[in-house]
Amino acid sequence: MLTYVIRRILLLIPMLLTISFLVYTALELTPGDAVSALINPELASRLTEAQFYELRESYGLNKSFITRYGIWLGNVMQGNFGHSLAGGVPISTIFLDRLPATLELSLVALFFSTVLGCILGTYSALKRGSITDSSLTVIGMVGVSIPEFFFGLVALLIFALNLGWLPVGGRLLPGYETIWDRIPHIVMPAMVLSLMMTAGVMRYARSSMLDALTRDFITTARSKGLPEWRINLLHGFRVALTPVVVLIGFRLPVLIGGSVIIEQVFQWPGLGNEFIGAVRGSDYPLVMMIALFSVFTVLMASLIIDVLTALIDPRVRLS
Amino acid sequence: MPRTQDVALSVKNLKTYFYTNNRCNKAVNGVSFEIRKGKTLCIVGESGCGKSVTASTIMQLLPALSRIEQGQVTYHSDSGDVHIEKLQRDGKEMRAIRGSEIAMIFQDPMTALNPVYTIGFQIGESLKYHTDLSTKEIREKTIDLLRGMGISLPEMRVDDYPHSYSGGMRQRAMIAMAMSCNPKILIADEPTTALDVTIQSQIFELMDKLKAENETAIMLITHDMGVVAELADDVAVMYMGNIVEAGTVDQVLRHPVHPYTRALLKSIPVLGRGRNQDIQPIAGSTPDPYDRPIGCQFAPRCKHRIEACDVMPQEVTFNGTQRVMCWRYKEFLPDAG
Repeated sequence: MLTYVIRRILLLIPMLLTISFLVYTALELTPGDAVSALINPELASRLTEAQFYELRESYGLNKSFITRYGIWLGNVMQGNFGHSLAGGVPISTIFLDRLPATLELSLVALFFSTVLGCILGTYSALKRGSITDSSLTVIGMVGVSIPEFFFGLVALLIFALNLGWLPVGGRLLPGYETIWDRIPHIVMPAMVLSLMMTAGVMRYARSSMLDALTRDFITTARSKGLPEWRINLLHGFRVALTPVVVLIGFRLPVLIGGSVIIEQVFQWPGLGNEFIGAVRGSDYPLVMMIALFSVFTVLMASLIIDVLTALIDPRVRLS
Repeated sequence: MPRTQDVALSVKNLKTYFYTNNRCNKAVNGVSFEIRKGKTLCIVGESGCGKSVTASTIMQLLPALSRIEQGQVTYHSDSGDVHIEKLQRDGKEMRAIRGSEIAMIFQDPMTALNPVYTIGFQIGESLKYHTDLSTKEIREKTIDLLRGMGISLPEMRVDDYPHSYSGGMRQRAMIAMAMSCNPKILIADEPTTALDVTIQSQIFELMDKLKAENETAIMLITHDMGVVAELADDVAVMYMGNIVEAGTVDQVLRHPVHPYTRALLKSIPVLGRGRNQDIQPIAGSTPDPYDRPIGCQFAPRCKHRIEACDVMPQEVTFNGTQRVMCWRYKEFLPDAG
């Protein structure tokens, strides 16, 4: 098991290198460079070629592409992510500031959708053909097909504006910082963000569970005289869980992507919100670092999923 | 007729029907037999004749769309008779019998074990639910069981997952699981079909040994006549949901009476008779279960068919223990020439 995890972590390194290179190249391909972005066009029109050259030289932009990538990579690995073009704030500061909010939102949504999706899907499979099962299937279809921002707006309209139960947006108000002050703020964005994933997990868990229940070892378990709950949960659900965990892993990027929109809808002060601002303001270094960070999250998530799958399914450990 | 106290399980006029799309498949259509204590009853017949359904019925492991329509399945336990057909399918009483009093091993050991649990865990589950042993005792007993089944290094293999066992080892583990609570009856549904021949004989030797040591009654479902000759005490031949002929192994194999039994025996090559032996396959194929012949089910394929065969024949008992369902059985008796 340990060698499996180590091997899996070592595999991350070439993947991260490749992706960082791709991200850097993408940035290189965008028109203009740091100099033209920093200096306003009016000033730029009055500068001579020699002055431009000097400016570039001072930023190290005249070095070859590969050299610059090497320097940048070295900096990133030392935790120096560069500066945001807007205001010159170190990107690491922005991350420290914004990341907790995004993580909080995504993790709550992830936890909620996993637990609820698994419970509803399993229940649906066990009560196959019942009214509950059919209704859950319909609700699941609706949940999968309607985009999240729409749900977000509807939820805002109902729970914040009409009923006034929950705050319209934001993460916490100044001066209110206990966990009880924060819960009302996270309920709506987290629910809306997890809705689509809950529906997906539920449908997947249902079919996976139905498949597991037809397997021969279920009959074996029954022939041993085990009670139904043990057959369904220990033998059925446990086997049905592996594909569901993989699905959740695949959906993680969607969750992160979704949070960009949801953070916007609910004015959640997270990285997603920052990302939109950075794109609007052509703040390339920040866009690049956020992109790289998302990639890193997805890779880490897939690592965690692989380890989890190996824990759940002994057959994976060998290969 | 065997005395009642020698009988572990008796089945009387059992009918199990399957319902799909408003059609009814009379998978088991009135079978009666007894499993004697410490003896092996072999049930033989072609695929789809109702052998496995009979086994599932005894264990109440039928799928949702099927039910016991009529008849009795009586388990003669030490503490009195239990009418299995009256028990709730997954109720407490039925669960107490399953795995403990009557245990079952299945055809394909590759799929019959749960891939995500260790062999030890899966054997231990039976013990956990049917005995008062502590966790430590369960583990020791599991290791003993595996050792008894001829698994080498059982102390280590007990913590292995099914995927690291070979097919033969898995079936041994299945048998260990089935035998863990010393059941009175062991139902084996084609336990060696998925295994190769050398492993087959090992598995059967093991079952025979267990039968002798524990007085377990075995119901063995097979379509291998060689296995029948080797292991059986009693034989029942099934065709389309009926037992067409039954008796002791000597009676049925040496003096088969029903045309189906005789055709079945003629269709099998015998080792040592060389390549020129006369093998006669049974003409035709089993009828569609939804479109059955009206009378004798074998009539359309039978060489000896007469008009009377359009009516279902009654079961006749002769020579004490041999039973047959055929209008012309008298003509086929050994002394009839």
